Amino acid sequence: MSTGETRRQLAYVVGVDVGGTFTDFVLFRPDGGGGFTYYKEPSTPDDPARAVGEGLVATLELAGVPRDAPGVVLHGTTIALNTILQNKGAPVVLITSRGNRDVLEIGRARMPSSFDFTVGKETPVVPRDRVLECGTRIGPDGEPVSEADEREVEALADAVRSAGVSAVAVMLLNSYVHADPERDLVRRLAARLPGVPVVASADVWPEIREYERALVTVLNAQITPLMDGYLGRLGDRLAAAGIRATVFVTASNGGVLGLATARARPIDTILSGPASGVTAAIEIGRAAGVTRLITFDMGGTSADISVVRRGEPELTTQTMVGDLPVILPSVHVISVGAGGGSIVRVDEQGLLKVGPESAGAAPGPAAYGRGGDRPTVTDCYVVNGWIDPESFLGGRMRLDVAAARRALSGVAARLARADLETPEAVAEAALRIATARMATGLLRHLAQKGEDPRTFTLVPFGGAGPTHASFLAEETGIRRILVPRAASTFCALGAVLAPVKRAYAASLGAARRDPASGAAWELLARLEEEAKAWIAGEGRMLTSPAFAYGADMRYAGQAFNVEVRIPDDVRARARADDLYELFHREHERLYGFREERGKVEVITVRLTVAADLVRVPLARIDAAKGPVRPAGTRSVRHGGASRPFAVYRRGDLRAGHRFDGPAIVEQEDTTVVVLPGWGVTVDDFGNLVMERGGQA
Amino acid sequence: MKLDPVTLEIMATKVAAVADEMGYTLQRTGRTLYVKETADFGTALVARNGKFFAYPNAIGVSGFVDLDCRTTIDAVGGLDEGDVVITNHAYLSGGLSTHTPDVHVIRPVYIDGRLVCYTWAFLHASDVGGRVPSSISPSNGEIFQEGLLLPPCKLVRRGEPVDEVFRIVSANTRTPEENLGDIKAMLGALAYGERRVREIVAQHGIDAFLACQDDLFEYSRIKAREAFRRVPDGDYDFWDYLDDDLVTPYPRRIRVRLSARSGALVLDFDGTDPQTLSAFNVPTLGRRHPWLTLRLVSLALSLDRTIPINAGILDNVEVRVPEGSLLNPRFPAATGVRHATCIRVYDAVTGALARALPDVMPACNGGVVIPIVFAENDPATGRSNVVVVEPMIGGMGARRGADGVDGRDSSIANLANNPLETIEGSASLRVVNYAVRPDSGGAGEWRGGTGLEITFEVLADEATVLGRGMERFRFQPWGLGGGRPGSAARTLLNAGTPGERELGKIDAVRVRRGDRITVLTPGAGGFGDPYARPPERVAEDVRKGFVSKRAAEEDYGVVLDGDGRVDAAATAARRRQRGAKPLAAVSTGRMREAWDEIFADELVTALNRRLYGQPPGPANHRRNQVFAEVLDGVDLAALPGMPPDERGRRRSRLARLIEDTGA
Repeated sequence: MSTGETRRQLAYVVGVDVGGTFTDFVLFRPDGGGGFTYYKEPSTPDDPARAVGEGLVATLELAGVPRDAPGVVLHGTTIALNTILQNKGAPVVLITSRGNRDVLEIGRARMPSSFDFTVGKETPVVPRDRVLECGTRIGPDGEPVSEADEREVEALADAVRSAGVSAVAVMLLNSYVHADPERDLVRRLAARLPGVPVVASADVWPEIREYERALVTVLNAQITPLMDGYLGRLGDRLAAAGIRATVFVTASNGGVLGLATARARPIDTILSGPASGVTAAIEIGRAAGVTRLITFDMGGTSADISVVRRGEPELTTQTMVGDLPVILPSVHVISVGAGGGSIVRVDEQGLLKVGPESAGAAPGPAAYGRGGDRPTVTDCYVVNGWIDPESFLGGRMRLDVAAARRALSGVAARLARADLETPEAVAEAALRIATARMATGLLRHLAQKGEDPRTFTLVPFGGAGPTHASFLAEETGIRRILVPRAASTFCALGAVLAPVKRAYAASLGAARRDPASGAAWELLARLEEEAKAWIAGEGRMLTSPAFAYGADMRYAGQAFNVEVRIPDDVRARARADDLYELFHREHERLYGFREERGKVEVITVRLTVAADLVRVPLARIDAAKGPVRPAGTRSVRHGGASRPFAVYRRGDLRAGHRFDGPAIVEQEDTTVVVLPGWGVTVDDFGNLVMERGGQA
Repeated sequence: MKLDPVTLEIMATKVAAVADEMGYTLQRTGRTLYVKETADFGTALVARNGKFFAYPNAIGVSGFVDLDCRTTIDAVGGLDEGDVVITNHAYLSGGLSTHTPDVHVIRPVYIDGRLVCYTWAFLHASDVGGRVPSSISPSNGEIFQEGLLLPPCKLVRRGEPVDEVFRIVSANTRTPEENLGDIKAMLGALAYGERRVREIVAQHGIDAFLACQDDLFEYSRIKAREAFRRVPDGDYDFWDYLDDDLVTPYPRRIRVRLSARSGALVLDFDGTDPQTLSAFNVPTLGRRHPWLTLRLVSLALSLDRTIPINAGILDNVEVRVPEGSLLNPRFPAATGVRHATCIRVYDAVTGALARALPDVMPACNGGVVIPIVFAENDPATGRSNVVVVEPMIGGMGARRGADGVDGRDSSIANLANNPLETIEGSASLRVVNYAVRPDSGGAGEWRGGTGLEITFEVLADEATVLGRGMERFRFQPWGLGGGRPGSAARTLLNAGTPGERELGKIDAVRVRRGDRITVLTPGAGGFGDPYARPPERVAEDVRKGFVSKRAAEEDYGVVLDGDGRVDAAATAARRRQRGAKPLAAVSTGRMREAWDEIFADELVTALNRRLYGQPPGPANHRRNQVFAEVLDGVDLAALPGMPPDERGRRRSRLARLIEDTGA
């Protein structure tokens, strides 16, 4: 693989997203070869790189790009995430300061459930007999307290050797203030352990909180071998196919990382799937002039929702991966267990329930005809006419309506109620329940931010997102929906549109008590140097980097921090008073008061660096030449009765076309539902802009 | 049920979310640490009968689902549209508030002139005045020492804030700004809940909204009843102890009889000790109360996690508590540290359930929450710096099929700990060890969860270490089905040095630079015969350091070789040597066995029945007299070593003294 291409020489940029069923490809030609090329290849779970390699060859052919043309592959993979969720990481030794061996056993001390005594705690990611202690200890101000002697280091190396692990993570208390003793120990161990990677926690994420820092260091070490092996195999496949492309990997923060970084820091990629979808939604929204949006990715097992304000993804440092808190900034996505595959059932007391249990890809909904006999949300769509069984997946998969009806009849029989005795009635009821579950999930999330759903535009994607979006909007009072053109290859599109991006953080230690000392600015400058050096190494084709600054601050004595963004001019002036004022103001905005005389502490400074690979313009579509006519009508059951819905083909729609609900828009990878009372305008980019009360 | 199964499911989903959303609103806007970090607050939707029909499952205090707002609402003659009632008065609120820092507010929701529900919120205010900062201290004897008492009164009247009440609140606290900020946040949460209720009613109508409340109670009642039917019909007795009540050296007993009749449960606390002259009393007013029934909610949700969380879960439960007892004290008994007692109530109910469901219930948890507080003066500024080092907890009990959880305990609070890096950055101390406590988990086929150890070195010239919630120093967390009890708690000064000293229960200890303080929390009880534990699992525990090699041999009969591998022959021989042994249903440890032998169940119950009717002063005086005469100068620690016939003589003395005690 080449790494030295400049932007001008690039023949193509392709986004690749590996899903459970399909691997999606979205290709763009910067040389003006025109628009985007979309392609789907069945996934190969035994060796995901095979589908990526073969699909890439097919995509290039489809786009008419020679294999040996210089290009960029932006790749999203769930390998790192699955390795963690399935607890299949490589064996690792963790070394801590003496007295801190149980950092992973004790964790944050909370149980997952306050009530249910059958739920145990998380399994420690390193068993206790693989956690070793050493005599190197750092004080809270960074001062060395004690240091491991040669004999001790030798003994540690022996213990690592006999444990037969593939990596060593070192997390010493207070190393976030002063990393040298930790790095020194790492060097001394590495010298004795050729071939075994030894990693310092301060080099992975130098933020205060020893448990969380140990966790990201260990997880990173555990997933490195698998990720490294996968990316190596991928490189070999591309080389063998004669493909001359630079590979980037999508990250949890919505950006992408160069191959070397992704191999060294796979922990930065674990939540990239949902993040890429949000990135795509933001870029499409930006082009359409929308900066406050709620992304709604409804797939087979869940509905993933994220809130975007000011056109920026919302990052969180409190993500749970399984039972484990991950403090690396990730796009904040919440998941509601209601998707197309969610099962419809009746409980022992006779209540109708939808999800969270899912029929998954196998057997899948009853209508798939793969042996599933339990009805799902998708079966409800089919039975009531929302989805056309003949044109599912562009007609490539015939749906079995009779099977769906049978499955729902079974539920009707168990309900045994006069008003719910037909499969159609049950289907409508189940869809209302699914909607209520998604709506309450969204409203809970918004309540945490004090936001009102009516001030947002809903951006649906995923196989079922555009189908269910107007139900969700009606339930929550959302008045505007923007339906992008590509629904199911959205994450791959997000990869194409994503910048190279990495976050940095460092905590201050004792200096936090005296922000006026300038320590915060010095630390920020150090991070900036690191970030500059890093991004310079990510490839020659990048635009000049942009930096965003922030700080976690609090009043002395408070136990919670407020994250403050630092505008460029404040950063340039580097005055403590400005920083105080930013904090006072943000605190007042959030909590309604400020303490002018309160002592302010700076706990952690943050920095994000980002640069564009290729500025990919979203393609515009042709303008309409006259009104659009529906391709037909179909009878849909809604509100207790069947009524005709006009059916449009997405391919027939041109910029400026307008039509009103009730309507359905069919496209290859999804069905868009337009409820009565909603009006649709097609914008220049081919998005459907749906507005309630906005009929033509 | 009144609603169709679709509407009910939809409305159930929505109202549960509203309760959560109110909680998030309160947390987001709340002012103090209690709200932000420890989430010591609550929100709910209240039916017209005063009970909660929607309660959060992910935010705030989990245990208050069984509270009752009726008394508080009635006390102000009902609530008009736009009113908000406030109270923190344990007695006049009918047990809604259970200690003075818990400030509760309730607001009615009227739609088209009809009362459709109430919204409720409470939070733990950082200070409401009184004798000590933060208002609660175990040594308080009357509720008047615990700060401002607000009987139920209107804080807002028809939408207008009642200025006098706000002024009274802010004049009676050391932290007026914080308190007012928190109260405003609660009012915001109530208003938010009302707005959301209006949206739901606009969609579904008033009648459906009212029917949904009844149906939700009914639905949870039916599902909980199904769960409770697992408890075989019968009567199950259990008792447990607080080590002491601070003002006397004698243990305080919680006694419960659980009676089950086809899924209907009765908890009868007759025989529980009388109310104390310190702040350990739990003001239930003799009603069914969350502090008494929390474990039953936990049982129901462990057996069926799909039950909606509302008061209907407890419709099948009746509670009896003698007036004048620790669990139903008469006004004005102090109640500040009632949570210490409540953990023991939780344990006693667990024990009674374990007699009924020995294959379901876990053995006893560590059962402590000990916030270690470090206080120093900054010599430069003269200002004092007070920091909670860690809220120390024990482990969780083992049950059939599962070892207990090491170093965690979610009994009545599920608190997060503090990063050591944060602590060391904010106080002059160095944490030398923060670890699981080996060999503290009760031995068993399934091992009890270990307690924790924290040891820290003082880096200031002088400082004070304070402890609260210091319990389980005397009486160990019990084991079940042959499982052994967990280790008792300990505190040490300068452990492992020539100056080592056992500190016992720390109230306040002066320490100097270089001193080391160690706190060891209790391990939890084990389950089943330790000799039935597979030797490989014992070896694994030894390899991981949860169990020592010596304990493997002595407690489990497992002999390991020099490399830590099981010596099969030696193990078999050792296990054979013990032979078959009847397994104790409950193992409480030598201290408690000795105590129970003298202070026999039926005698103590008889004594307590005579004391309930007396005023607290004379009742406690008589109790002290009786205990002192029975013990006759013998230290409690000496009881296990006392010859059995001597213990018998003292039991007879107790029986005689009870005869002499008037009713």
